[in-house]
Amino acid sequence: MNVTGVALVAALVAGFGGGVAGLVVPRTVRPVVVGACVAAAGALATLAGVAAMAGVAWSAALPWLLPLTGVELAVDPLGGVFLAVTGAVAVAAGVYGIGYARGGLDGRAVQAALPVFVASLLLVPAAGSIGTLLVCWELMALASLLLVLAEHGKRAEVASAGRWYAVMTHLGFVAILVGLLVLAGATGDGSFAAVREQARAPETAGLVFVCCLVGFGSKAGVLPLHAWLPRAHPEAPSHVSALMSAAMVNLGVYGILRVGFDLLGGGAPWWWLAVLVLGAASAVYGILQAAVGSDLKRLLGYSTTENMGLVLVGVGAGGMFAASGDAVLAALALTAALLHVVAHAAFKTLLFLAAGSVLHGTGLRDLDAMGGLRPVMPFTTVAFGLGALTASALPPGAAFVSEWVLLQALVHGAGSGTVVASSIVLPVAVGAVALTAGLAVATFVKAFGVGFLARPRSAAAAEAHESPPTMLAGMALAGLACVGLAVLPTVVLPAVAGVAGGVTGSGPAVTGAVTIQLTGVSGTMSPLLLVAALAVATALVAAVVSRRSARRARLWDCGGGPMSARMEYTATSFAEPLQRVFDNVLAPDQDVDVTHYEESRYLVRAVAYRRTLRDRVEHRLYEPVLAAVRGWGRAGRRLADGSVHRYLTYGFATLCGLLVLMVVTR
Amino acid sequence: MIGLWRKIRRTGRVAEPAPPAPEAGPAAPALSGSVQIRHVDAGSCNGCEVEIGSAFGPVHDAERYGARLVASPRHADALIVTGPVTRNMAEPLRRTYEAVPRPRVVVAVGDCARNCGVFAGAYGVVGPVSEIVPVDAEVAGCPPRPEAIVAALRGLTGR
Repeated sequence: MNVTGVALVAALVAGFGGGVAGLVVPRTVRPVVVGACVAAAGALATLAGVAAMAGVAWSAALPWLLPLTGVELAVDPLGGVFLAVTGAVAVAAGVYGIGYARGGLDGRAVQAALPVFVASLLLVPAAGSIGTLLVCWELMALASLLLVLAEHGKRAEVASAGRWYAVMTHLGFVAILVGLLVLAGATGDGSFAAVREQARAPETAGLVFVCCLVGFGSKAGVLPLHAWLPRAHPEAPSHVSALMSAAMVNLGVYGILRVGFDLLGGGAPWWWLAVLVLGAASAVYGILQAAVGSDLKRLLGYSTTENMGLVLVGVGAGGMFAASGDAVLAALALTAALLHVVAHAAFKTLLFLAAGSVLHGTGLRDLDAMGGLRPVMPFTTVAFGLGALTASALPPGAAFVSEWVLLQALVHGAGSGTVVASSIVLPVAVGAVALTAGLAVATFVKAFGVGFLARPRSAAAAEAHESPPTMLAGMALAGLACVGLAVLPTVVLPAVAGVAGGVTGSGPAVTGAVTIQLTGVSGTMSPLLLVAALAVATALVAAVVSRRSARRARLWDCGGGPMSARMEYTATSFAEPLQRVFDNVLAPDQDVDVTHYEESRYLVRAVAYRRTLRDRVEHRLYEPVLAAVRGWGRAGRRLADGSVHRYLTYGFATLCGLLVLMVVTR
Repeated sequence: MIGLWRKIRRTGRVAEPAPPAPEAGPAAPALSGSVQIRHVDAGSCNGCEVEIGSAFGPVHDAERYGARLVASPRHADALIVTGPVTRNMAEPLRRTYEAVPRPRVVVAVGDCARNCGVFAGAYGVVGPVSEIVPVDAEVAGCPPRPEAIVAALRGLTGR
């Protein structure tokens, strides 16, 4: 057993051990023990993932552990990336959870489910056979469902979110099940190695890929199947939201990569065209919904849809290039996708943990009621600001680097492949990525500016308090990852590029220690020098400004004043111009009611503004289906109206029918 | 569109020919020919406002002498104040004056601004503008003619 295996097994022991500890340890020390187990499992898994990325592969077969399929584990470099990312997120979430659990989340079920959830997250990318993958996938779904439902006693919406999540995750599971069983049926043995060896029948390969794309795509929150994501993420406890949003959704991407590139060996260009188009649509739609939303955690959930969309743009472009035989460009696009997975994990963990800290300190999720948190929650404000800067894809930021590599791949790929792909889809994808980046800036300026700066808009925000040290430590870990990835992405980039190159069968597409250099296409960029230049420019501006003589003056408030918190921008009003621009896409339902005094129509008594923004995809796609199911159920209810006589008649009729059937068929 | 252009060409300039430049005021060198002006209505009957509008209209066109109305005292070099200062406007006038960057100039436009005019002694009136903020130039008249306003502004710009 090599270092990968030892670390992974130790991580799983810590995870499942933490689950047991959550059940048996007394309440006073339960959060500490469980948090320590989660963090230890995460750290060990990161070690295993890094070792796997470095080329230390490991596999094991335990045929006795599960009936029929047995358990096979195999960690390769591709799985290693996701293992490392999941582990790193778990470290921050575990430390953070120690303090966060004190607020009524230290019950047995929740504390036991958390480490099991982490362990199942680690098992999915380590699964080495179809049976193992399916079992781990379901374990992950059930554990996360338990955690989403953790606060069902406090809020009524949690139950509804849980139902949506349960149904959608299981429909996705059914799609994966169908796809992978069709694949396994062709090979007999379900292990990945055997599937890889087997010659693939092209007619079933398309079906397998589409089924897996639907199933894994729904887990990644890709467009028409994203409906669970903005529901479940806000209602789950915040460290669970971080795990789900920064680690679990990645596994959807992992599934698409594993099945498409590895098990099916590339496949037809239209597969990847579909992935790219879905990704681009999700990216734009997700960030648009985030830009006009005012629930902080829901906004972050939609931002997850956006970022997974960007990742899938990279995956789809990589698949298209690989299908057209351009392995170097394919490796470049995949490198961008994997780097964005890493960057997204870092900043989304930080943002969700900071949002949880705000929730802990104020009890608020509604941006319109926040504000003025900077003086009372300084650490959380810095953490959220750092996350928002990174998520905006502006330099210096990790997402800037990954989106830059992605755009390089898309721009340079315009000359390869079919006409449709190279001259229509790729330019449009470049536009979609650019639009997404712009909207992301607006979204996070809103979230940070409205949420944390200016004056408190409600009593709850005014009475906020900073979070306990363990929560701050969790945020600090995630923040360090954000800063590290922003300044020195070249530490992880060669490893990620090596993995991507291994998947497409070419060398690493990105090299360089200080300056990132793309191989195959011309393009260089140095994040470190960029950060240094920004720092120097900022210092110069600060020096010039501080030298000027300043006159202290009253803030100009039109001579009236004093200005109150009611005069501030709210999240809704800040997003209103954007909402107006995208009126046709968002189709908001809004209404302005002006009431007058009886004495004169010229005197306004009150102005009421109401706006409801429905998720339009959900409205058009899900509501008709739900209405049909409900109608079907209502029709079925006529059969069972509570009359005992009728039920007895059913029994009698069925018996008679069976007897007749037996006589006839005999 | 062509018709519009033709009409513009046929009409030519309608502004009054520039009268000889008046004597430049003491603030002119510091403002060097370009004066951004914020107008404050401290309680006027709106007569002076009509004349200010006329002074900046196409006939008198005060902007050709370097004077320009702006929307905030933060952007302004000078205030033109009209009307007797009412109780409600005394503090906002003081704050507006404070908000103007240095060097700053105040012009009291109209008899009410100079000495409360017909409103002198009224219960809602605090006093003339000079009691609230220091006044550098005055324009007499109830209301003053646009030519007089333009002449006062040319005293500020020196053009």
